[in-house]
Amino acid sequence: KMAAAAAGSLRRAGWRLWRGRAVVSWQLCPPQRAVQASAVLRRVSDEQKKEPSVSSSQFDLHPNDYQPEQEPRGPHPSYTGQGGQESEDYESEEQLQHRILTAALDFVPEHGWSAEAIAEGAKTLGLSVAAAGMFHSDGSDLVLHFVSQCNTKLCELLKQEQKQVQLGEAEKKPTDQFLRDAVEARLRMLIPYIEKWPQALSILLLPHNIPSSLNLLTSMIDDILHYAGDQATDFNWYTRRAVLTGIYNTTELVMMQDSSPDFEDTWRFLENRVADAMNMSNTAEQVQSTGEAVVQGLMGAAVTVSSAEGSRVVS
Amino acid sequence: AAAVLCPVRTPLAHRGGTLRELCGFLRGLAAGPETHFGFQTVTEAERREKIYQVFESVAKKYDVMNDSMTLGIHRIWKDIFVRKMNPSPGTLLLDVAGGTGDIAFRFLNYVRSVRERQLQWKLRQQQNLSWQEISETYQEDKVKSLGDSRVVVCDINKEMLKVGKQKAQHLGYSEGLSWVLGDAEELPFDDAKFDVYTIAFGIRNVTRIDLALREAYRVLKPGGRFLCLEFSHINNPLLSRLYDLYSFQVIPVLGEIIAGDWKSYQYLVESIRRFPPQEELKAMIEDAGFFKVDYQNLNAGIVAIHSGFKL
Repeated sequence: KMAAAAAGSLRRAGWRLWRGRAVVSWQLCPPQRAVQASAVLRRVSDEQKKEPSVSSSQFDLHPNDYQPEQEPRGPHPSYTGQGGQESEDYESEEQLQHRILTAALDFVPEHGWSAEAIAEGAKTLGLSVAAAGMFHSDGSDLVLHFVSQCNTKLCELLKQEQKQVQLGEAEKKPTDQFLRDAVEARLRMLIPYIEKWPQALSILLLPHNIPSSLNLLTSMIDDILHYAGDQATDFNWYTRRAVLTGIYNTTELVMMQDSSPDFEDTWRFLENRVADAMNMSNTAEQVQSTGEAVVQGLMGAAVTVSSAEGSRVVS
Repeated sequence: AAAVLCPVRTPLAHRGGTLRELCGFLRGLAAGPETHFGFQTVTEAERREKIYQVFESVAKKYDVMNDSMTLGIHRIWKDIFVRKMNPSPGTLLLDVAGGTGDIAFRFLNYVRSVRERQLQWKLRQQQNLSWQEISETYQEDKVKSLGDSRVVVCDINKEMLKVGKQKAQHLGYSEGLSWVLGDAEELPFDDAKFDVYTIAFGIRNVTRIDLALREAYRVLKPGGRFLCLEFSHINNPLLSRLYDLYSFQVIPVLGEIIAGDWKSYQYLVESIRRFPPQEELKAMIEDAGFFKVDYQNLNAGIVAIHSGFKL
C-alpha cells in the first residue's frame, strides 16, 4: 500500500510537471487527457476535413469520441511522451470557447448579449447549457469576441485591397475615400445586430471590460491607418489616431438611431466628418505656413530696420 | 550456547511474525486499505460505516447545527454557490450528498425567478395580442414555471434524505424534485445524463474521492459542469490560528449542547483538517478528466468552490 501511495504521488507529481511544461506552449500542445478521450474537444485533423460553414455534421463526433467506462483506467500513459504527438491534434479549450461564442452570435437578436445566448449557442454544438458557465455571466465575453472577430475581418479586407492595388488590379484610393470605405465596411458588420448594439456598447463600457474594449478599438484604428499608408513618426501619429477614433465613435452612435434606408444618413455623416478632418489638417498646414511667413516677414523687417539704423549711425 | 540457539530462534520468530503480518495484511485487504477518519487511522470499510453512523445521528439536528456553527454564514456560502452555477431554465441538476436539500431548494428558487424574468420580458415584447393569445401564454406559464428544470438529490444516508423530504413538504417544494438513495462512488444513473453535478460539504465524507470524481465525469453530459463546495485550507496564519481555536474548542461543545453528540462534531472538525487543500483538489479534479478547473476562496479559504467542465 505504501508503494501504491508512492506511485500515486509520483503520478500526480509527474502530471503536474507535465502540465507545467504544457502551460508554456499552451496553444500548440494542450494538456493530454489520454485515458479519457475528451468528450468534446475535436481532433484538429477532423476540423480540417469539414467545411467551417457546415455545423450540423459536428454533432456526430460527440457520441463517437466519448469513451465508455470499460476503457482501462490504469496509469496515464501520456507521461512517457508518446502522447506528445497526439496532444497536438486536439483543439485547445480556447478554440472550443471561440466555437461556442461564434455559434452564440446567431441567438443574439433574440436573447441579447447575455449568458442565455451563449447557452443556446452551446446547445447547437451539442453541449450542455451548463457550458455557458465557462464565460462571464453578463455576456461580456460574447461582445468582446464579436468585436475582435469584426476587427479581424476588417484587417483581411484591407489586406486584400492592398494586394489588389499592388498587383495593379485596382486604383489606389485617395486617403479620405479610403478612410470612409474602411469605417463604412467595419460599421456594416454591425447591421445584423443593430437592434441589440446599444446593449453591447453599454457592456463594453463596464469598468472591468474597459481595458479590453479600449485595446480592441485602438488596434482597429491602428490597422486602418496602417493600411491607409500612415508613416508618421512625429506627433501627427497621435493626432491622426485621435481624430479617426472620434470619427468612428460618433458615426457608430449616429448609426444607432438612424432609420434611413440602408443607413444613408450615417454614411453621409461619415463623409462630412472625414472631409472636416482632411480640411482641418490642410488648415493646420496653411496656418503653420502663414505663421512661418509672418515670422519671416517680421524678422526681415527687424533686420532692415536695424541695418538702416546702423547705416544711419555710421553715416 | 545462547549464541547458537539465538540464530535458530530468531528465524522461527521472524517466520511466525511474518505469518501474523500476512494474516493481518489479508484481513486488511478484505476490509480495504487504510485511510483516515478524522485524526484516527481506520480501514475503508470501517470509515464508511462510521461516517454513515455520524450522519444518521446528526440528521435531525443537521440544519440547526449548521446555523449555530457557522453563525448562519453557510446560507450565504450556498447562495454564492448557486449564483456561481447561474443555472438557466431547462437545466438538469444532480446534487450529490445533498441530504437535507439546501442546494436543491436554492436551485429551484433561482430557476423559477430567472424563468419569471424571461416570461415578463417576452410579454413586454409582445404588444397587440388578442385576448385568446394572452390567455394561452398565461396557461403555458403555469405549466412551465420551472422551464423543465429538474433536480435529483442523491444521498447515501436514509436519515438525511428523510429529513430533506420533510423539509421539502414543509416549505412547499413539490415539482421538479426527486430523491434518490445512492453512493457517490457508484452512482445509480446512466452516462451523460446531467447538466450540472454539485456536491456541497459532502466530498469530504467520501472515502475514495477519485472514484466520486470519475462518477461525476461519467454522469455529466458533454459540456456539463462539476461544482464542489467544501471547507478548505486557510493561508493566512493568524486567521488560521483563530479558526483552529474556534473549530476545536467551540464546535464540539456546541455539538454536545445542541445535538448531544460531541464525537460527531469532533470528527467533522478533524475531517476538515485531513481534507486536501485547494490546489491538490484541483489536481484531482483535473485527473478525473475535467477541463478549465478553477477554484474560488470564500472567507479567505475557510470554504472553497471548485469548478470544472467536461469538455
